[in-house]
Amino acid sequence: MSAERPTPLRSKVSQRTLEQSQPKVDLPVRVERLEWQADGSASRLSLGSIALMSGALCVLGFALFDAMQSIIVNFSAYPVATSLLGALLSVFTLTLSVLTFREWQGFTNISQYTQSRLQEDVLAEMDKAPLLTALRDHARHFSKHSYAAQCFTRFEQSLQDDHSAAEVRKLYKHCVTDAVEKKAQEVLKKESVAAGSMTFISPNHLIQTLVIVWISLRTIRRVSLVFGLRPGRLGNWKLLKVLAQNLAAQSIFDLATDEVTNQISGSLSAKFMENSAEAVAAGALNVRLGKTLIRLLR
Amino acid sequence: MYPVFDKVTKPFKKLASAGREQFDQWFLQDTHRFTITGLSRSGKSMLFTSLMTILKHRSEGQYNCLPLLTRLPMELVEHMRLEPIDGYTLFPLEEHLSELDNRRWPQPTEQVYGFKLIVRLKQIARVKQWLLPYTDVVFEFIDYPGEWVTDLPMLNKTYSQWSDSTWAQQASEPQSHFAGGWQQFVREFDFESSPTSEKVQQLLDAYLRYLHEAKQQGISMLQPGSFLLDSDGYDWRKAGFTPLPAKITSDVSHPWNQLFSQHFLQFQSQWLNPLKQSTFKEADKQIILIDLFEGLNHSKQHLYQLKETLSHLAETFVYGNPNWFSRHVLNKSQIGKVAFVATKMDLAPAAQHDNMLSLLKDISAGAVAKFADKPIKFEHFLVSAIQTTDADSEADSLRFLNANREYVEASFEPIPDAIKAMPADEHFPLLNAQVPDDYLPRILNGRGLDRLLQFLLE
Repeated sequence: MSAERPTPLRSKVSQRTLEQSQPKVDLPVRVERLEWQADGSASRLSLGSIALMSGALCVLGFALFDAMQSIIVNFSAYPVATSLLGALLSVFTLTLSVLTFREWQGFTNISQYTQSRLQEDVLAEMDKAPLLTALRDHARHFSKHSYAAQCFTRFEQSLQDDHSAAEVRKLYKHCVTDAVEKKAQEVLKKESVAAGSMTFISPNHLIQTLVIVWISLRTIRRVSLVFGLRPGRLGNWKLLKVLAQNLAAQSIFDLATDEVTNQISGSLSAKFMENSAEAVAAGALNVRLGKTLIRLLR
Repeated sequence: MYPVFDKVTKPFKKLASAGREQFDQWFLQDTHRFTITGLSRSGKSMLFTSLMTILKHRSEGQYNCLPLLTRLPMELVEHMRLEPIDGYTLFPLEEHLSELDNRRWPQPTEQVYGFKLIVRLKQIARVKQWLLPYTDVVFEFIDYPGEWVTDLPMLNKTYSQWSDSTWAQQASEPQSHFAGGWQQFVREFDFESSPTSEKVQQLLDAYLRYLHEAKQQGISMLQPGSFLLDSDGYDWRKAGFTPLPAKITSDVSHPWNQLFSQHFLQFQSQWLNPLKQSTFKEADKQIILIDLFEGLNHSKQHLYQLKETLSHLAETFVYGNPNWFSRHVLNKSQIGKVAFVATKMDLAPAAQHDNMLSLLKDISAGAVAKFADKPIKFEHFLVSAIQTTDADSEADSLRFLNANREYVEASFEPIPDAIKAMPADEHFPLLNAQVPDDYLPRILNGRGLDRLLQFLLE
């Protein structure tokens, strides 16, 4: 008996030769180490400095002008000097306007940022395309060169066409959400150590309070920058509520340590103990401030 | 003086060294023992080549590969190294890469290779840095010919049981299309004459011809698959056997039955048992590689046969989930995680991948049922070890380099999402995609390996 051969089957794949060669595929992007410093771009002259300097120059210029005017009263006789002073005034006015605009932008950024916060339950129900759109929309609020923006770039580089919506969410969490939060915790840890150390060496309560105000404001700015938010100086108002709580709690702690100090009658060891306790408290409260901020921006 | 001192301290040094190794093993190593159960041509060798190439470039070149593999964070990988496993030849990675460099696919595996892939992760927690400065994630892989794995179910059978079931398989589709010549030979064979070595050789040659042809035609369940390879482990020419008609296997006094039963027992004791002990023991995770295209290329019956083969294979492994104490102290090994992996997924358009995944689930349903009542985790994956194809403007088409190295567009009709949805008179011819010139970026852009490793390491 010969082998019973199967009947030929209909092909469900059709092929045609193309008049082109196979395109080359690029190597995957190399992952650069994310180097980000809270004050990394401070080397260039900021707008604030320009405004201040041009203002000072204006004052000096007008003073000079006044001095010169007292000697030469005729404007037509001194066209260059008056032009220069006019130009300086223009620079000052312009930079001040830009600065005001940036402050206003920072002020509105907070609302926009907190309103555009990603709702995990909403994202969980999204398909891949709307999910990516939502993530990209959210990422538009990240300021350029911020850590969050760098993380988002890495996320985009990691995306592959076969990733499902769940995998995109997982990848975003790994590359952006978790990484940014980890960095924010690192920054907060550093700031809290700084707060504790400076409180410890502060000679009196006035300086101590000023130090805490300064470190708290710096913490707010640096943590916000990690999240890609530039709140601006005026824009911190929402965050000041947390700061006020921070300071109120610190004042209560001051009272308590003062009382203990009085009881021990002001010896050197008591002073050391007081400062140590306040340093620990300042550090801990700075952590609270930062954590509240992280919760707000997360 | 020194030799005496050395003699005295040597046992202590040995003890200290053994203690250190044990400490490292318990606290500094996270060992994952994989058994890769893949039939012949399922893409095992290419998968290993790809996996090692990707991990190497990921850790040394910092290329953004395997983005979903968060269990091995890129920033924590200190280095990666390859080590042989005692008693095994090291996997020929360089040879395989050199083959790819010459635009040839790596040769199919015809001997067993064993290797450890050790990825050292830095410890970043400050206190832990002093106590446990690093963690070595150790992957132990054993690559072996796919023909061997199909023989494992023979361990649970007697010769007559095996012979009868093989005979029954040959009578049904798709084997029946290719077994005609062999069966005709058996019908005309004189079994009344005594089984001399010449007669046995004639029978073996005829059976081998059938096995080779059936393999060419995509049959996955061929036993003994080991006879298809000239391995050193078992001399089948000297002590071979073939299935015999039921009238002979039912007669225990028949000289042919007695001889082949004896050879079958030798095959089990000298080859299969040691093979199972050495190659398939101590695994805690199993990757079952499945080439769906092999079935789609041939026929619906081939897909059913693939399902049956997987179901038989699942019977031969020990599944369970031992705890840390049983695993590390009592050295009890059971497979606690199973990944069903459909390979060569770059050969199907992305739009068809959902159907491919459903088809994979359907084909593995019989195997899944074998461990459904056991506390093990299993998942299905689509993987391409290398992206040989490119996306086309049409969702159901793709482009690839054919055997003449011409760039070709292939358009697919919908791939069935289950075997029963596959028409009996249709097939999806396998795309004979060649090694692309830019094979390295295409390996690094492979898909699905990160999902697979993440699942296995979690």
